[in-house]
Parts: sequence; structure tokens; C-alpha cells
Amino acid sequence: MFEYALSVIIFLPILTGLALLLFPLRGGVARAVGFIVSVIILFIGIELFLGFNGKSGMEYTEFHQWIPSLGVNYALGIDGISLLVMVAATFLFPMVFSIFKTRTKGFYGNLLLAQGAMLGAICSTDLILFYVFWEIMLLPIFFMIGIYGGDKRLSATLKLTIYTIAGSLLMLAAIIYVGTSYHEQFGKWSFNIADLQALSLSGGFAITAFLMFMVAFAIKIPLFPFHTWLPDGYTEAPTATTFILSAIMAKIGVYGVIRFVIPVFEVEFTRFAILFSLLGIAGMLYCGLAAIAQKDIKRLLAFSSASHMGIIALGVFCMNVQALSGCLFQIMAHATSTGVLFLFVGLMEERLGTRNIDDLGGIAYRAPIFATFFAIAMLASVGLPGTSGFIGEFLIILGAIKFNAFIGFLAGTTLIIGVCYMLWMFQRVFFEKGKERTESFADLNGMEILTFVPVILLIIGMGIFPQTFLEKIEPTAQQHVAQLTAVSASQIADTTVQNPGHTNHKN
Amino acid sequence: MEQTANYLGLIPLLPLTGALVIGLLHMLTCTKKPLPEKLYSVLACIGPLLSFFMALVVLFQLKNMAPEDRFLSHIPFTWFAVGELHVDMGFLADPLSSLMLVFVTFIGSLIHIYSIGYMAGEENYGKYFAYLNLFLGAMLILVLGNGPVVMFVGWEGVGLCSYLLISFYTKDTDNVLAGNKAFIVNRIGDLGFVLGMSFLFWAIGSTGFDFLSLRENAHLLTPGIGFAICLLLFVGACGKSAQIPLYVWLPDAMAGPTPVSALIHAATMVTAGVYMVARFSFIYSHFPSAGTIIAWVGILTALLAAIFGMFQKDIKKILAYSTVSQLGYMFAGVGVAAYSAGIFHVFTHAFFKALLFLGAGSVIYALHHQQNIWKMGGLKAKMPITYATMLIGALALSGCPPFSGFFSKDEILFMALANGHPGIWFIGVLVAGMTAYYTFRMMFLVFHGEARDKQAYDQAHEPPAVMTVPLIILAAGAALVGVFNLPGIFGGSMSVSNWLAPSLVEHHPHVSIWLEIMAIAASIAAVVIGITIAYKKFGHGAEEPEFTGFAKLGYHKFYVDEIYNAAIIQPYKAIGSLISRFFEPNVTDLHVKFSTWLYTKSGKAFKVFQVGYVRIYAIYMVIGLSVMSFFLSQSIN
Repeated sequence: MFEYALSVIIFLPILTGLALLLFPLRGGVARAVGFIVSVIILFIGIELFLGFNGKSGMEYTEFHQWIPSLGVNYALGIDGISLLVMVAATFLFPMVFSIFKTRTKGFYGNLLLAQGAMLGAICSTDLILFYVFWEIMLLPIFFMIGIYGGDKRLSATLKLTIYTIAGSLLMLAAIIYVGTSYHEQFGKWSFNIADLQALSLSGGFAITAFLMFMVAFAIKIPLFPFHTWLPDGYTEAPTATTFILSAIMAKIGVYGVIRFVIPVFEVEFTRFAILFSLLGIAGMLYCGLAAIAQKDIKRLLAFSSASHMGIIALGVFCMNVQALSGCLFQIMAHATSTGVLFLFVGLMEERLGTRNIDDLGGIAYRAPIFATFFAIAMLASVGLPGTSGFIGEFLIILGAIKFNAFIGFLAGTTLIIGVCYMLWMFQRVFFEKGKERTESFADLNGMEILTFVPVILLIIGMGIFPQTFLEKIEPTAQQHVAQLTAVSASQIADTTVQNPGHTNHKN
Repeated sequence: MEQTANYLGLIPLLPLTGALVIGLLHMLTCTKKPLPEKLYSVLACIGPLLSFFMALVVLFQLKNMAPEDRFLSHIPFTWFAVGELHVDMGFLADPLSSLMLVFVTFIGSLIHIYSIGYMAGEENYGKYFAYLNLFLGAMLILVLGNGPVVMFVGWEGVGLCSYLLISFYTKDTDNVLAGNKAFIVNRIGDLGFVLGMSFLFWAIGSTGFDFLSLRENAHLLTPGIGFAICLLLFVGACGKSAQIPLYVWLPDAMAGPTPVSALIHAATMVTAGVYMVARFSFIYSHFPSAGTIIAWVGILTALLAAIFGMFQKDIKKILAYSTVSQLGYMFAGVGVAAYSAGIFHVFTHAFFKALLFLGAGSVIYALHHQQNIWKMGGLKAKMPITYATMLIGALALSGCPPFSGFFSKDEILFMALANGHPGIWFIGVLVAGMTAYYTFRMMFLVFHGEARDKQAYDQAHEPPAVMTVPLIILAAGAALVGVFNLPGIFGGSMSVSNWLAPSLVEHHPHVSIWLEIMAIAASIAAVVIGITIAYKKFGHGAEEPEFTGFAKLGYHKFYVDEIYNAAIIQPYKAIGSLISRFFEPNVTDLHVKFSTWLYTKSGKAFKVFQVGYVRIYAIYMVIGLSVMSFFLSQSIN
């Protein structure tokens, strides 16, 4: 029944988005169209999630030849790795359309384009196809920030664009290297990820190509020290775009590493795992510490988001099933907590015209429902048990301890760093004495409550019944890790020289 | 060997449901006309009372089983399972948790009832009871959790609730800061707990990560890892149970409403650390050296808090430090492997400390939120019930025979001596004397002598029955529960210790009866001396002294808060702003700055060639064509 479901969720928003851009419509109509489309995709997403059984590798596959002479195919599929990223990208969009009412049709068109492109990148199982969607993804983001962003939007857009394009070009070069290597080793062209797994790459070129891939993904995640576009980019972007950047696009960076880098570059990956896990930790600490000094609540959340992404990235590099599953779970959890916090800040900004923490205060007395929802999302973001944030973080820390006890300890400090800036911010925004501006703050209205209740329930539901999600992603994570451990085991057998990746690998 | 009891999960679920219902009602109505207080009161008390009755059912069901089979479990569903890790959302009732269960729900219910009177007429009445119910639910999860991870849910849950309740009067910044402090300091401890838990899992958890499986595999722990696990878990306990160096949050936590102090910061949450160590007695008993560290940290905390307690003016702060001090005793107990003695002190302490806090609450209530003991005095005549009940509590806290605190504290001190820790015993006796001194300093200043604030005194009156009845019940408990664990020397049979035996791994040393008598005599002497000094100094009215020298140091708590502020909090903030003001724009961005620089420079360099004369460009073309043809000719050859 769902033969073409993936194509539908990719191209329905893209085509609708293009149509919105082309036809002269009013903003309200465009928003209604966008909302309807995103709800349709939401329902398809739910069906896909429920129908996914997680046992048999790729599901919902589609396959058509695209450029036969180069072995490039239109190949789509969902497995345990992409499932929750897909879920995040399909579940969360209706909220954006429902909350932000004041935008023009171009904005809503770009939102849909972004959704389609991101779903395309998530569902592709062909490296070239992935690259195409990966590039398309940037366009609507570029327009949304550049046209609809804040005061310093142009420099922010420029920085973001150059950063990502630089990464993309590196990745393109690496993709070409991977393709030609496959041609050399097997005598035919293919960019299908299932074929590429068979590659055995080695030597300096392989390391360079691996690092090129990693830089491209590290920029999107963003991994320290490639995060410097983020504070300005997140802050200047319209809140809906920030939400997309943080909740979904950053996750595609992590997803890319798991999907494409691990299977192709197993050897290099194990060798560099320690380095990259330290980068993840460094980012977590650095951004977490920076967050406490922010005056702009959106900028604070930007740093917070980057800090949590550091932990999520760490989960990838620990190379055990607990950390990897935790990372995949946390992708969704982070989208529902930190991502949703961005939406709340957007709401606050629409009502008050300011995001400056010093101007706020006492909102909890005016808007108890808003404050409660905000608090729940915030607690999920700091990883309180019973919310979605705990499971992922716990699994990652647990896995990190096995990977390397010291890294595990550093990862654990996220428990403390997170509450420090979050609680202090919450205090100054929601408690204390009310300020002039906040006197007239209106609580969420019926429509807004309806919008947020599902995601609040999701936060709590994912905390109490995480197994519903984990059982679907765990088998694939197992396979991935088994592949890595097989490689590192054979590597140890092959070489007498111990490399730094293994000395810390405890059993 | 364990039986299933498919109702255990309901025990925490009932107050949690209450919290949800009350919270929703309050959230939806609080900006309009608030709902009647009666509705909230009734809703709030249903959950705790039902839980209490179910706890009794559990207790009696366990009692009817053979001692070694006393394990009831309920596993509603698998919480999460990844690889070797399998965590059930499971609940376990055994002698240890059932004892905790009974007194937590009992005292919790009493405090709910007391709160109806204390909070009457306050703003956010509904919110208060929602949090209180939530707290009780979290505490019950902590107690009933069948493995470390489920326990951790309650562990963090009580931390959250204490944050919410401490900063309950959110309009005052100091209260919120106190709440933040509690949450953050607890989180530091939680880091230890999470790390300990993770190491435990990788060491012995792969065949089952619940207490019963872990207990079977505990002998597989290697010394290094086992020792590390013990200490890491104890870091968690330090945070939750306010031990050195993480005790600083508890005295500040008195910012919340007084019944909250009674519930959270005396009777239940802070005892979680002791409970956890006792839960893990199967590990701790293998590593006596870790236990010794715990015992010393505990007894030093007891000493430090007792010193602070002697110089405080705020009635709640005095009680807060006495709590920290008593918790130190409990850790000294579990540290010297006297787990049942430690838990028994948790049990008796819950009664007399809840009583003292609620009594203090009545005093504060009567004096319109006056908390300074130097502004009180002579209240004995005005508030006889409060006085009488608090006197019992004070005697129990001081460890005066035959009140409950005497038996439990004495058991700990005696076990320290018997297990070969005379240093701990000696400090313990010293602290007992100091405890008696500061407790009765408070009693004399508040209830005896002349009224210092005449106006407040004249308006003071006994609170309503909804508040005094819980006091009387608790007073009866504080006086009598000691008999549950009478040692042989007083003709008892250590019933609580025997009851707990199946849950714990401990050994009872055999020592001479003379040693025991000597220990008891020393404890009693310390108490008598303490009370006598307090009576001499404060029994007949005294004026507030100027603190100088050591007293000033003690009053300012050795400036520990200030030191922490200067050594940790300010540097933390400074690093934060350093990063965002300096590193982020200047250092971290260097690679970007370098590429833009390179880009501009190479642009400038290439500009040299763009001279704008056609003849020069023609030369470029000639050069280019020659180079191309050279390569072409090469490839043809």
C-alpha cells in the first residue's frame, strides 16, 4: 500500500512549495495550504512509523534508474537509522504552520521546500541522490534567513552559506573518490550505499576522503569547532527556521555520519573515533558554558542546542549499541525538547517584541499553561527521567563509559551544565517580579494549546514508553556496531602496531 | 523466590495521578477565580492515604511469608532494552522498601493534612498540593524501584520537586535561587549516581540490571571497579542527603513552606541517600574501605552541621542543620556496615524531625512568619500542645532515653565502636552532646523565659486542630517507635533489624556487654551535659549576644557558601562570558577568519594580472595555448 509513500512525502511538499512560490496567493491561504500538506505528511509519517518493523533492513524501498551510465539511481528506503529522523521531519512541521501566522506566502513555500528536501536526504539510499537533496535543502534555508531574518541576517546568511557550501564541495569531492574507488575495485559504477559497504579503502586518500565527509557533516551538526556559524545563524533566522535548523537539519548531519561514513570508512572511523568523540565533548562543554552568559534567550537556546548536539554526536563515535541507539533516540528527543523550546521563544517574541532576558520576568503568573509547557520541554532538554531527554542521554553516557571511562565522565557533566543555564534562564524569564512588558502577556489560546499538547504528550510518552521507539531502531544499530567491531577486530589481528583508537577500547 | 503483587505500581501511581489532576485543575483556573480550597484538599489527601493503606497491605503480606522469601515484585512493562541492557519499569517490595514505604506514606499523609491548615488562604494553594503529591509519588518510585535505573527516576523526581517547592514563593529572587541551588547541587550528586550505575552495569549488569540479579552477581566485582562504584554512588548520596561537600543546599532549602521542609528536607527525600547505600549493601559490604570513607564523611558532616547549628538564629535553619547532622549519623551507621542501624535511625528521625518541623511551622504560623528565635520566648503558655509535642521531639532528637532517637542513635554509635571505629564513636558522642545543647537552646529561647516581642506574643495562639492532631500523632511516634528495635540489653529483640535482615547483607559482631553499657552511659552523659549547659545559658531568658570569634565563624557557617561562590560559581560565570565575549568571536572563529583573509589576499594577488590591456591578455592566451599544446603533444607521444 505504501509503495510510493516515500516519494509522496518528498515531492508533495516540494511541488506544493514551488506552486506557492509561483502563484500569487495571500499569506493566509499559503499558510492553510502548507498546514494541510504538512498534516497529510504527518499522517503518512505516523503510518510509516507504525508499519515499520525494524527487522529486515531497508523498508518501503523504491528503486528507479536515474543515470545508468554512472550507476546513479533514484533509490529510497527507511531503516532503523533513518526512521526517527524521518519521524522528526514529518511530525513537527504542522506546529510551525499552526503557530506562526504573520509570514508571507514565500516563507511558507520555502518551509515546504525545506521539508521535502530534508525528507529526500533522509530517505535516499544512493549517495548522489543524497547529495542532490542535501544541496537543495540549503536553498530554502538561505532564502528564509536572508529575506525574513533579523537585523544582522545578511552576514549570518553569508557565513552559513559559505560554511555549508565549503563543506558540501568537500563532500562532493569525497563522493567522487568513493565512486571511482568502487569502479576500480569492482569494475562497475555504483553509489548505492548497500554496494559501497563492500569497499575496502585504505591509505592517505581514504583518510582524506573520510575527513572531507566528516567536515561536511560536522558543519551541519555542528560539531566543535565548526559551529561558529551557529550562534548568529540560529539567532538571526526567523524562529520557524531556527526550529528546522535545530530540530531536523542538525540531525541530518548526525544521520549522514551514521548512514554513509560508518559503512564506507569503517577503518578510518574506528581510528578517528576518539578524536571526534573529544570534539563532541569539547562542543558540549564549550557551548554549554557559553550559554550561561547569553542575554538573548534565543541565542542561549542556540548554544544549548549545540551543546546537546555534541552529546548526540558523541553517541555515534562510541561504537557500541547502547550509545548508537541512544544517539538515534536522542535525535528525536532533542527535536521535541530543544526544538520546541525555540518555538516557545518565537511565540514569546511575537507577543512581546523582545527576546532579551533582562526585559522579561514573571511570565508564569500571567501564563501558567505556557510556563508549564515550557518547563516540561526544558526539563526534557536537561534530561529528567520520565521525559524523552533522559533515555537518550543515559544510553549515550552508558555507552561512552564503555568506550572510554574518562570521556564517559566528561559526557556526564552535561547533566550539570544543562541545568545551570536553563534554571537560571527560567528563573529570570518566568519567575521573579513581573516587568512592564510582561504584564499583558496572554496565555496560550485554544489553538496553540491544541498544537502543543501532542508534542508535550510525545515528550512524556517517549520518556515512559521509549521501547516503542527503541525496538524499531535497535536491530539496525546492532548491525552497524557489529560491522564496526568486526573491522576493528580484524584490524588488530592484521597489524602488530596498535593504533590509538584501540588502546582505549575496553571490553 | 519472589512473588508477584500486581498492585505495587499503583502505590506511586495514586499520588502521581493526584498531582496530575490537581495540577491540571490549578493550571487551567489559576488566572481566573481559583477553585475552592476544600476540593484541592480532598483530592490531595486521597492519593497519599490510599497509598498508606496499600503500604500496610504490602507490609502484612510480607509478614505472612517466610523471612527469606519476603520479596514481592511487579513488572508492568519493559522500560527500555538495548543490547545487553534490559531495564524493566519494575517495582520491588521487600522488608527494606516496605519499611520505608510505610513511614513515607504515613508521614507524607500527615503532612498533607497539616498543610491544609498551614497553607489555608495562600495563593497557589492548588499548585502546592500538586507538587506535594508529585513529590510523594516520586519518593515512592524511589523506594519501590526494582533496579538502580527506576530508582533514579524517583531520585531525580524528588530533586525536581524539591526545586519546585523550595522556590514555591517565586516572586522573591532568593527563594528561586535556593531552589536552583538545590537542583544543581543534587544534579552534581546525580552525576555520581549515573556514573556509578554505568560502571555497575558494565561490570555485572549484563545478566539483569535489577537489585536481585545484581545481588547475585555482586561477588564478581573486581576490587578496583567495585571500590569506584561504591564511591561514585556515594557521591550521589552526598548530593541527595546533604553530606560534605554537597550539604550546602539543604539549609537554604528552608525557603520553602514549612511543611515542605518537614516532608522533603527532614523525613523523606534527604534519607534517600542512606536508603540507597543500604539497598546496595550487597556491594558495600564487600568493600569495607569504601564504607570507612563514608562513615568518616558522615560523622564529620554531623560534627560540622552541629557546630553550625549551635549558632543559628533562624528556627528553621537550626532544624535544617540538625537534619544534616543526623544524616551524618546515618551515614556513619551504614558506613560501618551497620545498615539496619542506619535505616532504623532514618525511621525514627522521620518521626521526630517531621514533628519538630511541623511544630516550628505552628510557631511560625502563630507569630506571622517570624522565624528568628531571638524574637520569640515564653510561648509555652500560649501554645501548650505545640510545646509539649515539640518537647518530645526535642528529647528524641537529643537522644534522651527512652525516646525513639536514643535507641537508634545509640545503636549506630555502639556499632561504630563494636566494628572498630573508636574515633567515629567519640565524635559521635561529642555531637550528641552538641545536638542536645542546640536543640534545647532553641526550645528554651522559643518557649521559656519572657516574650521578647510583646506584640507578636499577644496575638499568638494554638493553631487549628487540623494542624495540632498531626503533631500529636507524630509526637506519639517520636516517643514510642524506638521500642520496635529494642536491643537485648533492654529486653528487646531488635525486631526492625531482624525484619530488615533478608534485604541487607550485614554481620552482627559479638562484643561484651560492658562495652555496650559503657557506650550507653557515655551517650546519656553527653545528652545530660548538653541540656544542662543549654538550661544554664538560656533557661531563664537571655539576650541576643553579639557573635564574635568562633561563634561568628559558626554563625556564618565558616563562610563555606562564600568560598563556593568565589571558587566555583563566579569562575563558572566568568568562563561563560569569556567564551562568549572573547573566544567565540576571536579564537574559535580563527579558521574562518583565516580563509576569508586568504581569499581576499589571493584576490589581491590575482588582481595584478588583470591589467586591462588587450595586448597583455593576448600574451596570456599565447602562453596558455603553448602550455596546452605541449601537454597535448606529450599525450599523443
